[in-house]
Amino acid sequence: MKKTKLVTVLFVVMLMASMLLSACAPKADEDVIKIGYVGALSGETAVWGQAGLNGMLLTAKEINEAGGILGKKVEVIGLDGRGDPTDSVNAFRRLVTEEKVIAVVGTNFSSCNIAMAPIADQLEIPLIATAASNPKVTVDENGNLHPYSFRIGFIDPFQGQVLANLASNELGAKTAAVIYDIGSDYSTGLAQYFEEQFIANGGEMVAKVEGHSGDNDFRSQLSVIAEANPDVIMVPWIYKDVALIANQARELGITAPLLGGDGWDSPELITMAGPAIEGSFYTSQPSFANPVTKPYYDAYMAEYENLVPETEALFGHDGLYWIKEAFERAGEVSPKALRDALESTTQFDGLMGSMAVDPATHNPAKPASVYTFTNGERVWYGDYK
Amino acid sequence: MIWQQIVNGISVGSIYALMATGYALIYSLLGFSNWAHGDIAMVGAYLGFMFIASMNLPWWAALILALLGAGLLSVISERLAYRKIRKNNSPTMFLMIAAMGLSVALQNFILVTVGSKFKTYPQVLPVKAINIGGVYIGLLDLISFLASVIVIIFLYYLIERTKFGLAVKAAAANMQVASLLGINVDRYISLVFLLAGSLAGLSGVFLGMKYTVYPQLGNFALKAFIASVFGGLGSVPGAIVGALFIGLMEVFVAGYISAGLRDLFTFSLLVAVLVIRPTGLFGKDIQDKA
Repeated sequence: MKKTKLVTVLFVVMLMASMLLSACAPKADEDVIKIGYVGALSGETAVWGQAGLNGMLLTAKEINEAGGILGKKVEVIGLDGRGDPTDSVNAFRRLVTEEKVIAVVGTNFSSCNIAMAPIADQLEIPLIATAASNPKVTVDENGNLHPYSFRIGFIDPFQGQVLANLASNELGAKTAAVIYDIGSDYSTGLAQYFEEQFIANGGEMVAKVEGHSGDNDFRSQLSVIAEANPDVIMVPWIYKDVALIANQARELGITAPLLGGDGWDSPELITMAGPAIEGSFYTSQPSFANPVTKPYYDAYMAEYENLVPETEALFGHDGLYWIKEAFERAGEVSPKALRDALESTTQFDGLMGSMAVDPATHNPAKPASVYTFTNGERVWYGDYK
Repeated sequence: MIWQQIVNGISVGSIYALMATGYALIYSLLGFSNWAHGDIAMVGAYLGFMFIASMNLPWWAALILALLGAGLLSVISERLAYRKIRKNNSPTMFLMIAAMGLSVALQNFILVTVGSKFKTYPQVLPVKAINIGGVYIGLLDLISFLASVIVIIFLYYLIERTKFGLAVKAAAANMQVASLLGINVDRYISLVFLLAGSLAGLSGVFLGMKYTVYPQLGNFALKAFIASVFGGLGSVPGAIVGALFIGLMEVFVAGYISAGLRDLFTFSLLVAVLVIRPTGLFGKDIQDKA
């Protein structure tokens, strides 16, 4: 009896202590502009989310040293969206309701931002997607604009077109096959846009197979593709799946070049599938390959102990600077003023190029870079408008 | 192309078979589903990766060490997690729950120490394929298939033709009577766990080489479980047949119907077996199975 009483008392004391501690909520500080970041800080895509957050923290430091935004300090708060729509929506809500941020940058996943956009509209807090490229992130499927959802990257229809034109015009491909991820809006969308442009160019789709991210073995689907013998194969997946698909395709004797989108963009891809992706191509956002990004690259490496930054870090940088530029045009610190200023951007120059926002769709017109792999190294192939 | 698909199916199935064999061994002896089996395989995969990537050992040495490491982990897990429950004469359901806890613990241990990033085995075996009459057989697949065959023959010999096997069968039949007759049941159980763990480690290393290494690799054991149920829980040959069947079925569903429906078919098979013939192909009696 005595033991259970002691345990009960201890339990009640702990409970009360934890309640008291959590009641100490952060004070709302008038002189601080809080910007949130939602990204995958854990899980298999954490390499991107972490880079985005690191980039934003570094950029916030830089902005604060130069005087802040409208005289106020910038504070960046990052929460883990795990690359999952539900977790990302929860992270967004927490950032707005508990941390009281005035805008949120993130994520790089279309599926997450498509889920977050209606919440951004509802809570009236601007949300700037980084690499999320599906059109439905800013314009829903009924054609209605999400007033509070923006993005800094290009959209998939554009990416799909660039790849299809590359295939038809530069690689001389007459037939193509595609393997896509049925669980991903990005993958199915990109595959569809590629197909539309490729057929418009006079090409023929000889095989369309589907898989699921999380599967390891794609050989049964790849055998179907091998049988159809296409000139090129479209593989619009995330790099870790691309590595598996590429290795397995080569094992089955498929020699056609592979094409992909910005999901390929990670140095890990070469580690995982170097020989298999030789001679393949992918489109991506302008990245650290551009010499204008060198000072930022060096600052990042210095700040984070020689951690090589991913392109997402550039998004974090440009996202924060765009918000700064928009606030300065608006002249006041409120979510609505920010929203209006973002929507009316006619020219914002970031490290990723210059952009203007189309008020009807919130989509920026930005060029895409094409990369290829030669002798085990990623090589910049060209920029396409 | 149908031959290519058959080759694909058998290569996938042989890795499932390796894992299902260890699984069936433990089931036949202790009567519970060792949910941590897949995670022992996962640790084996990480060990193999560590030996090859960090210590630069030749692949066969890394394989053997990873095997032993996984076996050792299996023995330790038996000592820590299962022995006390078994001694208390608790229902076998408790063993299964302990296994689930162990599974989560192992996954998170690796997640916290090594990290969630995917690791790729350095290319110790070339990603080449041998072309026989238009059908491509990966070198790694060939080796893992041969290894599975050798292991299965070895196991058969061990269980049917040696004293060790006889003792294990006796303990499986009736543990108390066997110990009365002088068989050190604890020691034999540890040895069986060592064996099953090594098999898991072997299949883990092959899985890691073929795909990539990540903390959730143990989820493959779910297919091994279904294979075991299909073949008859407790029957080692049944598990092997079940695994090969599932490998082939998955490949054909993914290739000819739809990749999205692959898991649907596999799990429907599980439900169908339980409804139509709960003992599976080669299983024996029907009773509460944990």
